[in-house]
Amino acid sequence: MPANAAASESIADREVVITRTYDAPARLLFEAWSKPEHLMKWFGPVGWPLTLCEVDFRKGGRFRFAMTGPDGRQNTPFGGEYLEIVPNRWIVYDNGFETPGAEKMIVTVTYDEKGGSTTLTIHTLFASVAMRNEHVGGGFEQGVGSGLDQLAGVVAGMRARERS
Amino acid sequence: MIPAAAEPLDLVFAALADPTRRAILARLAVGEATVNDLVAPSDLSQPTISKHLKVLERAGLVSRGRDAQFRPVRLEAAPLAGAAQWLGDYHRFWAESLDQLDTYVKELKRKEARHAGKRRRK
Repeated sequence: MPANAAASESIADREVVITRTYDAPARLLFEAWSKPEHLMKWFGPVGWPLTLCEVDFRKGGRFRFAMTGPDGRQNTPFGGEYLEIVPNRWIVYDNGFETPGAEKMIVTVTYDEKGGSTTLTIHTLFASVAMRNEHVGGGFEQGVGSGLDQLAGVVAGMRARERS
Repeated sequence: MIPAAAEPLDLVFAALADPTRRAILARLAVGEATVNDLVAPSDLSQPTISKHLKVLERAGLVSRGRDAQFRPVRLEAAPLAGAAQWLGDYHRFWAESLDQLDTYVKELKRKEARHAGKRRRK
């Protein structure tokens, strides 16, 4: 079982932490995570909107999402259970693809409000190092954020050159 | 899909973490250049640019031509594609989601302010 496999692997090797600070109160951010009408407005990468969004937002309730890509095909649905909900403070849920034998990640979203702005922390604990690597790759976070846009520009330039 | 070893990707990301080196890559994306071509538009000296080029070369992001006099610098696509792939997964998912959330929460804030204004006027 994945849970047993994970026991021998350290948490640090299985987790990913992503943070972002918003100029908004925690209750608005929490609200944006709690209802399909909101989630469908922002969840997912650009060009991959949620086209399936079922949410039973209570402890023990389940959610089910799927995104549709630019090719118009709906991706494999994914979802899980809300393990803990503390309004305006944190949400804990597990999440995995609806494929046989798929491992699950446990995601803890924390809303930390200070002076009108809120720091959102998304802590993901993957079931195993293999699962983490599958989702995140073998690299590590090293001053990447600031380079993202430029890198995208560079790659676009290279693709354009390859085509010409 | 997944890089076989983390180490080369570590070098790639360490190389990409510097704005000067990203500027060099952006310039090379347009076409190969000599060191002098790269020094000209920057405020940096040739030794500084050369130092940055060595970091990029070690990461496999650029290669140098054999022309003894000019040794033109060329962008190497493969490691960059590996890095883009790495960014393309979980981090990109959240980076883009959280950008969209920023826009959406601003909208929610505006709506709330409008409603509050109406309530006050009543």
